[in-house]
Amino acid sequence: MSKTIETTTDNGQAALSFDPAAGIATITLRMAGRANKINDDFGLTLQQGLDWAEGQEGLRGLVLASGHKDFCVGADIDRLYRERDPASLMGRLRELSGLLRRLEKLPVPTVAALTGSALGGGYELAMACKRRIALEDPRVQLGLPEVSLGVIPGAGGTQRLPRLIGIQAALEHILQGKIVRAPQAKKVGLVDELRPDADAVMAAAREWIQANPKAIQPWDDKRFRFPGPRPGGADARNIFMAAAAMLFKKTAGAFPAAEDALSAVQEGCALVFDRALEVEMRYFTKLATSDQAKDMIRTLWFHRTAAEKHEGLPRAEEHGFTKVGILGAGMMGAGLAFICAKAGLQVVLKDVKPEALERGLAHVDAEVAKLRHLGEDQRKALRGRVSGTLSVGELQGCDLVIEAVFESLELKHMVTRETEPVLAEGGVWASNTSAIPIGDLAKASAHPDRFIGMHFFSPVEKMQLLEIITPKGTSEQTLARSLAFTRAIKKLPIVVGDGYGFYTTRVFSAYIVEGAQLVAEGHDPATIEWAARAAGMVVAPLQVFDEVTLTLAAKGFKQGREYGRTLDIPGVALVEAMVERGRHGKAAGQGFYDYGKDGRRLWSGLKELASGTPEQTGVELIGRRLLGLQALEAARCVEDEVIERPRDAEVGAIFGVGFAPNTGGPLSYIDRIGVREFVAEMDGFADAYGERYRPPKLLRSMVENGERFFEAV
Amino acid sequence: MPDAYLFDAVRTPRGRGKESGSLYTVRPVDLLAQSLAALRDRNELDTTQVDDVVVGCVTQTGDQGACIARFAALEAGYDVDAPGVTLNRFCGSGLQAINDAAAMVASGFYDLVVAGGVESMSRVKMGSDGGAIWDPRTQWNVGSVPQGISADLLATLRGITRDDVDRFALASQQRAVDAIEHHRFDRSVVPVVDDSGLTVLARDEYPRPETTLEKLGELSASFETMGRQFGLDSLTRGRYPQVERIDHIHHAGNSSGIVDGAAAQIVATKEKGEAMGLTPRARVRSVAVVGTDPILMLAGPMPASRRALHKAGMEIGDIDLFEVNEAFAAVPLAFMQELGVPHDKVNVNGGAIALGHPLGATGAMLMSTLLDALEDRNLSTGLVTLCIGGGMGIATVVERV
Repeated sequence: MSKTIETTTDNGQAALSFDPAAGIATITLRMAGRANKINDDFGLTLQQGLDWAEGQEGLRGLVLASGHKDFCVGADIDRLYRERDPASLMGRLRELSGLLRRLEKLPVPTVAALTGSALGGGYELAMACKRRIALEDPRVQLGLPEVSLGVIPGAGGTQRLPRLIGIQAALEHILQGKIVRAPQAKKVGLVDELRPDADAVMAAAREWIQANPKAIQPWDDKRFRFPGPRPGGADARNIFMAAAAMLFKKTAGAFPAAEDALSAVQEGCALVFDRALEVEMRYFTKLATSDQAKDMIRTLWFHRTAAEKHEGLPRAEEHGFTKVGILGAGMMGAGLAFICAKAGLQVVLKDVKPEALERGLAHVDAEVAKLRHLGEDQRKALRGRVSGTLSVGELQGCDLVIEAVFESLELKHMVTRETEPVLAEGGVWASNTSAIPIGDLAKASAHPDRFIGMHFFSPVEKMQLLEIITPKGTSEQTLARSLAFTRAIKKLPIVVGDGYGFYTTRVFSAYIVEGAQLVAEGHDPATIEWAARAAGMVVAPLQVFDEVTLTLAAKGFKQGREYGRTLDIPGVALVEAMVERGRHGKAAGQGFYDYGKDGRRLWSGLKELASGTPEQTGVELIGRRLLGLQALEAARCVEDEVIERPRDAEVGAIFGVGFAPNTGGPLSYIDRIGVREFVAEMDGFADAYGERYRPPKLLRSMVENGERFFEAV
Repeated sequence: MPDAYLFDAVRTPRGRGKESGSLYTVRPVDLLAQSLAALRDRNELDTTQVDDVVVGCVTQTGDQGACIARFAALEAGYDVDAPGVTLNRFCGSGLQAINDAAAMVASGFYDLVVAGGVESMSRVKMGSDGGAIWDPRTQWNVGSVPQGISADLLATLRGITRDDVDRFALASQQRAVDAIEHHRFDRSVVPVVDDSGLTVLARDEYPRPETTLEKLGELSASFETMGRQFGLDSLTRGRYPQVERIDHIHHAGNSSGIVDGAAAQIVATKEKGEAMGLTPRARVRSVAVVGTDPILMLAGPMPASRRALHKAGMEIGDIDLFEVNEAFAAVPLAFMQELGVPHDKVNVNGGAIALGHPLGATGAMLMSTLLDALEDRNLSTGLVTLCIGGGMGIATVVERV
């Protein structure tokens, strides 16, 4: 016997079935749309289910299940994004929190049947059940990723998780916004049991209910004790102190969400559970209504998802590539060979030097060996898809060639002329140059319509972003196939117009060159580094300068001069002088830093290379200069039509340059300050520090028309 | 307004603040009660005339909870009308008790106050009273690091090296050992005894006469792992962005010792004291307390001393002897560096590195040490100052009469 209840609204729906013989009810969430989300419809549905359950005679257990692929994907982010009123948000949180408390206080055992992922509010819902049984499938993901969107768990996550798995383990998950796969979730205690298929999950749920008729939530048990150190004790205090330190070291104070998550855990864990929830709600409300959360959600959720889905971009059903040729077996070429092979493609890795090829193949070996979760056979098959060669002939029949040779127009032209003829009929040529205009490279091509820029980031195995550059001659089909390829190798694409440095290299150069410029102006180098991180930059400018190497930058300056893009400023001269003195960067053991056994330390000679002492300095000013100059460059890219979709500016800067994620991206940064205020500040900087700060016309016309880049919320 | 005068001062010897320390078996209330009793007995003090008993104690929980001043006075057999108040200004508490007593007396509201301090660090662990200082929220809003990190930060900012702090530590040991051998603490120190009259501890037991520069050099820095590996150093970076790396130089041998002890002193108007047959030793010229950055935490003695000197209408050169609490060697070194005071005027009988720092009692002990030294050398003016948690600093200027 079963009956279905419909919620009173149109779009919220769940099926309720009740087996009177066993006394077990199942509520299967099957909300309108493609996923179960925590929203008002969910609230109504849960409320009706609870009303029914609380009054149902003979109820001996309740299973919460999903009729969608995922169990529940968490909060309705569209709704959250638009919420600016703290009182209204607080009210909704209280309602939701009350419902979850009713659920966990039902006098019968309750089980979350996790046949799909439970994230954020979805996992918080699962924690409000007394047992979590998941499908034994790595595609099932669990966790509380809220901090990555500038908020914290808001439906009890900061209070239930530490009570479930202990303070330290909970902090690791919450502060890093970790998402774990089902097998790992079982290990750390996020789920209690794993079962091989959905039926087995449901069967296990029923078994557990029958075996545990008196189950209550641990924290509702009078004898409850925290797993591990108890709050208030010296051990817990040390955990909080160490967590605060590690957090601050990582975030430099630019990401209050993680800080508040730590505070919420520490404060709430010392209180009675019901009131502890209130502590969390207040932190959540403050964060969720803040500018930072709005900007992070817009870019890291909406824009990122749009980029992932290739929204507004030409679509091809398949890329149609089977054999990929990669020219140049350096770090990048070898890495590309690996990721292409991993995506199931045949790969021929070519270099002109036997040693280089050998190193490249060894790199592929090492990467393959890291794939422990694959079986020996699968690893062998994967490795077997990569072959190495020194001869162009081996590339015969490739339908995609990715050129990753040294950054020289002449060399790239030569390679194109030499190799393009071996391309299969209709094959695509992609250059991985990081700066040279693709249109210039395509001049050596017989098929400029099938010539495209694919700017990957190093280390390519880790970096998600792929900057696709489409000069005027590139066909829409070539772009569509390239995007399909991007999906196959699981990269996050932005598509930008052609021009020296495209988009990301322009923003990145502005950042690191200004870092050097600040040194040249006499700002304290340690303060420069900290100021960048305190402003939210993922890596400090001098540190990252050393990583890309000063020699490469110096070559770039030379090349940039040919395109009229290298600034004539002391910062550039300083880098060139350092290169001449053999300070080449991290790999050389000396650059802006000296690299020794006990880590890196800023080179003491930097001060002597400075022209004097700046009139004004400090963390705030340096941070605003570094972010401001990058934001200006992004705005110029919009003006130059290198950036066609503003979302690409945001996604590209954050994922490619490590631009301050707390701002939502360089254009969001301008919006947040206010275009008018930003222009005024940059004009002031231009007068004081040079014309590179002079705002482009685009921004001035935006001021006149009262425009901004993104709609205000 | 009357002047406040300092009369007799006593203290217990300092016992090692561990379970193996001599004073571990003595309740902190008894440590304080014995000081109060000794002060009464050797001065034939009529305790009906005591307006208040003001006591510094930092970790006011467990054995030291519930207003230890009141119960120590009663345990010592003070008249039931002699009340008691316990205060906490962290490491400045003992001196704060004297300063508060002086202020009460100088106000004219009170005539005679017993001031002192107590801390049994072996029994009541530092920090065991909890507090907002440990909360992440306070960390984000205010900032807070363990004191050792602050000490190393202070040294880094002032260019004080490992060699400097080790040399200072050695001098502290040598001076303390010399002072003990030559009975320079004898006027103040009253042995702790049990109910049978058996001596529990008669002399300071923390100094290490065998200390050498080589041995100090072998000790590894105490806060390096915590600071670097666990990232606590980075918590200072928000306020000190220019400090790329903190040089960790402090260790057990050049930082104050963890010890147990108590102290008490009579503070009164000259008239009241003399009417009770007491002889004034010194006049309180001025007192001061300041707040400075809580992360650097230990830089308070300099502004506190400047403010106290200013109030007294004096200059640094007018002071004959200084007691600057040796919380960490960098503190007195920074003091001497910044104020231009020669080492031979500072902590002439050693300090907390050799003798130990019983948190709530130290300030009162330093005052008795200063008075003894001024009398011993027939000098006139002295200044006591301590660095204080939360970034505070306290100072008192006295002049012998």
